[in-house]
Amino acid sequence: MSKALGIINFAGKHIWVDGLQSYRPLGALSFLGRYRIIDFPISNMSNSGIDQIQVYVRRKPRSMVEHLGTGRHYNINSKRGKLQVLFSENGVENDVYNTDIAAYLENMKCIEEINCPYVVIAPSYMVYCENYSSLLKTHIESEADITLLYHTVDNAKEAYFNCNILELNRQKGVLSIEQNHGNAKNRNIFMDTYVMKKDLFIELVRKAKKMSSMFTLTDIVKAECGELDIRGVSHRGFFASVTDFKAYYDANISLIDLKTAKSLFDPEWPIYTRTNDSCPTQYFETGSVKSSVVSNGCLVEGTVENSVIGRGCVIKKDAVVKNSVLLPGAMVGAGVHVENYVVDKDAKLIRGKEIVAAPENPGYIKRDDVL
Amino acid sequence: MKQNNMLAMILAGGRGSRLHELTNKVAKPAVFYGGKYRIIDFPLSNCANSGIDVVGVLTQYESILLNSYVAAGRRWGLDAKESGVYVLPPREKADANLDVYRGTADAISQNIDFIDTFSPEYLLILSGDHIYKMNYAKMLAYHKECNADATIAVIEVPMREASRFGIMNADETGRIMEFEEKPEKPKSNLASMGIYIFNWKALRKLLMDDIKNPDSHHDFGKDIIPTMLNEDKRLFAYKFKGYWKDVGTIDSLWEANMDLLDKNNELDLNDLTWKIYTEDAATLPHYVGPDAKISRAFINQGCVIEGEVKNSVLFTGATVAANAKVIDSVLMPGAEVEEGAVVTRALVADGVKIGKNAVVGSADSEHIELVSKRVKGVE
Repeated sequence: MSKALGIINFAGKHIWVDGLQSYRPLGALSFLGRYRIIDFPISNMSNSGIDQIQVYVRRKPRSMVEHLGTGRHYNINSKRGKLQVLFSENGVENDVYNTDIAAYLENMKCIEEINCPYVVIAPSYMVYCENYSSLLKTHIESEADITLLYHTVDNAKEAYFNCNILELNRQKGVLSIEQNHGNAKNRNIFMDTYVMKKDLFIELVRKAKKMSSMFTLTDIVKAECGELDIRGVSHRGFFASVTDFKAYYDANISLIDLKTAKSLFDPEWPIYTRTNDSCPTQYFETGSVKSSVVSNGCLVEGTVENSVIGRGCVIKKDAVVKNSVLLPGAMVGAGVHVENYVVDKDAKLIRGKEIVAAPENPGYIKRDDVL
Repeated sequence: MKQNNMLAMILAGGRGSRLHELTNKVAKPAVFYGGKYRIIDFPLSNCANSGIDVVGVLTQYESILLNSYVAAGRRWGLDAKESGVYVLPPREKADANLDVYRGTADAISQNIDFIDTFSPEYLLILSGDHIYKMNYAKMLAYHKECNADATIAVIEVPMREASRFGIMNADETGRIMEFEEKPEKPKSNLASMGIYIFNWKALRKLLMDDIKNPDSHHDFGKDIIPTMLNEDKRLFAYKFKGYWKDVGTIDSLWEANMDLLDKNNELDLNDLTWKIYTEDAATLPHYVGPDAKISRAFINQGCVIEGEVKNSVLFTGATVAANAKVIDSVLMPGAEVEEGAVVTRALVADGVKIGKNAVVGSADSEHIELVSKRVKGVE
């Protein structure tokens, strides 16, 4: 029995992924060749038996709406279940007011009328697998007001700058939520994932609005740390927070390693996505591919190494693609050498033969661009 | 029915016994092809892409899987209002005894009531076990243009092979004068593809007569077409140009898969204007390991390649472990080739494991080896 409404939240204003985010909300961003980031939270919910799911979009909803469709491909029951795409219309006018709280308030009726006592709120910009049904059980058993999911990392000095960190006491009680300033390497990164009673959620949303029109859900939960019993639950397995450009690149590249990929993809926990009906990928005599993840519908005549290749990419003869992430439909022309780059959708690299960035600072080619 | 007033019926009851173990549990139209498809995806996708809304699929042999597979018309976009895929196995009716489909024409005769509910003007008859891409709307336009009673799609085959086919002898206008089933001395090389368009009212009458004829084989090629020619009906040959394969044997199924490895091959599954639709699999993209070697291959999602793959087609979720070699072979969905194993000129059936260091098939074998059972490893 599903007892929770699933809410998938958008990235707040403090998060911006250079280049890529200009074209689509982060949730609709292509990931590991054939997925979009939002496939992860939705599949987590679907696999956890949550079939009332609301996806909130802050801006540019087209690609998101197209990808989600009726939600049928996420294995959500088409009669008893529901996948809604919601956004804050007022927020579009003035970005200052375009917060998750504003979007929830505008759609309060949709939230209230769903007959679930709990809510599970997950971000559309983080990649991880989690059984929300177990998390909900843990939450109920702990009798806490709010349960937050976190991931312990040892590289918070170099990464996760747009993330919040949790300060916990020994009993996993949350003492505070702060932005990661990169001043310590061992941190508990808050995964922007919450479990609480729906009534409390609604109460917090209303309270937030009263306190400040700029408040987000994180802000109000942060403000309530002293008042409410908020607990942290540690997440295990693969975790990536796509909250800056480097993080996006690194998350893709890290999953080229099969062992790492296996810590994210469990055959018993399928990640669903929308099919594109592409045929298998064709490799020619001159092709050479090593340590890579390749999606369907590609034509490979050149060399690919340590890269993620999206659907329908073309790699021509004598082209070299190294340490790069190619989004669907990208083309690397004959003799072109691209290294340490993210190549956005349908971009064509033809005339510029050396497209190489420094490994610690990967480059970006715009969508539909011809080089 | 609204789009072109033509209803399609796909004959999908055949076993395809020369495919051996591959068709022990499923009918031939459900056999895998091309890295991710089943053969019946081709006529179904062609229908969908040609603007045909209603498709009847006539099943008989081992039809459980096929019935549930084709019933999900959504896969091919055949699920809008007044559109759908109807599974039609033999059934008991109020006015007739339950009987198997005795021939291709009988399969249609037994479903006259079904066809009548849509009252189409034209009926398209297709075979469920051929691999090709064809726009049936163009064929219908030709049928209308010729003011034909029936139009039969034909393909030019090499003259020396013509005696293996049903051969149409047509005059210069394309009108069929004579039809010969597997002639010893063929007069032309226009082979019937088993694709027919009939005017439904006229065909209906012929079928009603055919049911009552005790000497009939109830077959389109043997009975209906000859009868129409005898009656001087207007039958026209519609010349098809392009890739077309009837894969009857393991060798020809293997060969049809190998055809996909050629650059600019005729079937062109990557043609975005004429996609072939199939079941969606929730798998990862395919993984290529650090020591993998891939050359001339057609590889689907979900595969993991850590060894060598050459001149081969790998279906959904097939795996090739480190130091293993897969050469001139086809690995069907979920086939596993373990470390050090060598697979040459073989077709490995779905889910079959080739154990460590095992050797399967050989480079100079006359026929392709079908591996349908687990092969034990060698320690």
